[in-house]
Amino acid sequence: MPASRHITVTVNEQPYEAVVEPRTTLVDFLRGELGLTGTHVGCEHGVCGACTILWNGRAVRSCIMLAVQADGGTIMTVEGLGREGALHPIQQAFLEEHGLQCGFCTPGFLMSIYELLERSPDPSDEEIRDTLGGQICRCTGYQAIVAAVRSAAAKLRTGAGGYG
Amino acid sequence: MAADVPRTIAELPTSAPRFVGRPVARVEDPMLLTGRAEFIDNLSLPRMLHCAILRSPHAHARVVAVDTAAAERLPGVVAVVTGEDAKRWTQPTPTVPPGWGAHCLASDKVRFVGEPVAAVAAVSRYVAEDALELIGVDYEPLPPVVDAAKALEPASPLVFDERGSNVMLQRVFTWGEVDAAFAAADHVFTERFRWHRLGANPLETFGVISQWDPVDGSLTCHGSFQSQFHMGLARAAVLGLPSHKVRMVSQPHGGSFGGKGGARGTDITALLSRKSGGRPVKWIEDRMEYLAGGASQAWDRHYEVSLAVRRDGTVTGLRVKLLDDLGATAEGWGAVSAAKPLAAFTGCYAIPAAQYDLTIVATNKLPGSPYRGMGPPPHNFVLEQMMDIAARELGLDPAEMRRRNYIPKDRFPYTIASGNEYDSGDYEAALETVLTMGDYTKLRAEQAEARKRGRWLGIGLVNTIEPGVFDWNAYAIVGQPGTGVPEGATVAIDLFGKIVVKVGFALEGQGQYTVVSQVLADYFGVDLGDVRVVPQDSLSAPPHFGPGGSRLGVAITGAVLGAADRLRQKLVAVAARLLQTTPDAVELMDGKLRIRGVPGAEMPLAQVSAVMLARSDLLPPDVDPNPEATYVWTAPGRTTADDQGRAKSYLTAANACHLVLVEVDVETGKVEILRYWIADDCGTRLNPATVEGMIQGGVAQGVGAALLEEYVYDDDGQLLTSTFMDYLLPSVYEVPMTEKKALCTPSPFTPLGAKGVGESAMHTTPAAIMCAINDALVPLGVRATAVPASPHRLWKLVQGARKA
Repeated sequence: MPASRHITVTVNEQPYEAVVEPRTTLVDFLRGELGLTGTHVGCEHGVCGACTILWNGRAVRSCIMLAVQADGGTIMTVEGLGREGALHPIQQAFLEEHGLQCGFCTPGFLMSIYELLERSPDPSDEEIRDTLGGQICRCTGYQAIVAAVRSAAAKLRTGAGGYG
Repeated sequence: MAADVPRTIAELPTSAPRFVGRPVARVEDPMLLTGRAEFIDNLSLPRMLHCAILRSPHAHARVVAVDTAAAERLPGVVAVVTGEDAKRWTQPTPTVPPGWGAHCLASDKVRFVGEPVAAVAAVSRYVAEDALELIGVDYEPLPPVVDAAKALEPASPLVFDERGSNVMLQRVFTWGEVDAAFAAADHVFTERFRWHRLGANPLETFGVISQWDPVDGSLTCHGSFQSQFHMGLARAAVLGLPSHKVRMVSQPHGGSFGGKGGARGTDITALLSRKSGGRPVKWIEDRMEYLAGGASQAWDRHYEVSLAVRRDGTVTGLRVKLLDDLGATAEGWGAVSAAKPLAAFTGCYAIPAAQYDLTIVATNKLPGSPYRGMGPPPHNFVLEQMMDIAARELGLDPAEMRRRNYIPKDRFPYTIASGNEYDSGDYEAALETVLTMGDYTKLRAEQAEARKRGRWLGIGLVNTIEPGVFDWNAYAIVGQPGTGVPEGATVAIDLFGKIVVKVGFALEGQGQYTVVSQVLADYFGVDLGDVRVVPQDSLSAPPHFGPGGSRLGVAITGAVLGAADRLRQKLVAVAARLLQTTPDAVELMDGKLRIRGVPGAEMPLAQVSAVMLARSDLLPPDVDPNPEATYVWTAPGRTTADDQGRAKSYLTAANACHLVLVEVDVETGKVEILRYWIADDCGTRLNPATVEGMIQGGVAQGVGAALLEEYVYDDDGQLLTSTFMDYLLPSVYEVPMTEKKALCTPSPFTPLGAKGVGESAMHTTPAAIMCAINDALVPLGVRATAVPASPHRLWKLVQGARKA
């Protein structure tokens, strides 16, 4: 087995140093080593999107990326959304629109939508579908999630919840 | 103590309900939205080991030898178990029908690709998987049987040699004068259908942490158990433990839809824990394990269906012949799934005579498991196709064909031919509602217009029953006896008037903690946030079953209302003493105990509970000082099945009518859903937003069933769809954004008039889409009879028609 490697990453604005085996996936590192268990594993082959996180601002699937590939990068996970006593507007919109049922896929959706709304504050239907098309939800049938994206976009544009 | 469970919202002790019946935000959601729910893979225990499972690459083979020596020597490996350990320490898993089970690890032979053969516990999952590569298994391949019809032939390989046949169950149920109905019919229509394997695929796979106590001889398992109590009982039987020595702790889980399974994984980790001296052992099923070896596959069915019809469209008889391919064992309640259609055999229609010729057969494929709907969705598909075939042949509109056969709304409660009783309904109202929503007449005109322009549009119109509030009594006929499925709740009021509720099920996605909070907040006149639901393990909770068979919303409402009423009686007794009157003069209303008709003679809930907890000297001598009560609800009036399987089984009969417009691209075989309308009647909606979510989620799974999802095995029994690249789940691109309307025919039999609706559109959508596709194909003279109607299948059908 190849020797372990030393990496440094910043996750949710907190710097970390760690020694990892090269074969360790990024999601196993985040969940197992850092204890950030809000990111979930749904398929481990890059299809379902449950493990989506932001890596240097881009939505990526942490199940098909290795921890060593993230070396030197900046990561945001669901734990970085919202703050004590206040949900992030995207989370708030999911709550109000019933955009989740079992909630297992939800953190991945939130991160994908976060990236979308950073890039496109007033997304078209096509942009919304394009973003959600990469995420699988087995419970909701997507209708309430689409509504939540629209609501979240409006909240962020108007600065509702102090997150403008 | 007796308890009075309100049948309507108006009977709640509140002058203005604030929560029940309203689309309130779910109390579960903040935890889920912030990634804080303790799903099983988020839980770690001290000294925990990680399990990986070695699985059979053969569909059918003798296991000659298993060599684990090299794996055991790998640093970090603590224990290895094989079929020999399973034979020494366990019994085969109980099955329905009985006697078709295997040990959790194959010993003498493997019966399907993906069957566990050996397992390792190591310091990490990575090391455990390394160790699997060091295990040598010597197989002697046997010829597999993969096709259901071939499995019936006398020369077929046997899945269980000792049974002498692959037939797990064969029965003919006859209800009414079927032969006479068919003999007297003006028309008899017959068609064959095929429903291919598909399955639940919750986004979270199964996971478990088992810990064996070698001193106490007991077992504790944390896991994503859909029904912890039921899982615990079966584990006790398999592992040879007394029932009270098995404690199951259900963690919040990421969906189930019946497909969580996990019996073998739980047993295997229990054995590994035992062998490692009692260290906790975690196993998280990965997706490929789930697809090939989990509770992932259901309903592999071959149908032949006949309908006896009078000239005017009245259906007088229905015959359904089903060959159900259950795969290698009966460990996944497959026979229950085949028998559940008895609860709604004739759908929304008053068909007086029917027959069900049922054969369940074993093959060398993954054992079938439950999936949302538990059997009726394929049955509804074939019944509704037959209604359309009859309508077309008789020159009737599909809507008119259905109108002529509905059970009239003034005949409820109504006993159907197969014995179940429907509680209430107004099917014609649902039909007319959906026809208005979709402007049906105009839709037909659009379809005709489109056809002139070379576009193949089809309209599907389907109505179905959702049997709600599952009970065991329906299933004694297929080897699963029992009557009465309990659901209990303990409701307590603390010193400050806050309410704590103990239940026996974990979060799964249906929002039941919110329903519990809504009901109790209105009952005791507190805010939603003043109620906290705390799940208990299988030994601590009151008797429980949990989610399943569209039951929990109704059942837990009954449980908390019963407990609330018992608690109210205690509070009234104390308040009467404090208010210096008799208990019959005191009532609970809007969160206060008050003397009826005496303004101002009242005290708040918290004052009464505080007296009970802190001032026993003020209590009447015969009053229990504990402001807590438990109630266990079961469905009333269930009956034992007769020799033809007839029983009052499911307590509620929700109904839905779907109207869908699709377009078939005849050049590619691709189907696009253009519009979708739903009229749904599940009685009182306790949380309308949750119900809408259940319906829309059911639509999505129905779209998957009709168009996308299929487990494909080759002739050698190898699974060809072992990733999500091959097994296609519906995405936002395929699922229609539906227009929905709620109708309300309350159940006269249930708490607050609610009906089970958790399975919802999964009963209806596959049938509706298939009816629409066939409506589009009418001019070509072909009929799509296989589900899913994949592009390849439809393209071949269309090409065949063009050549002919």
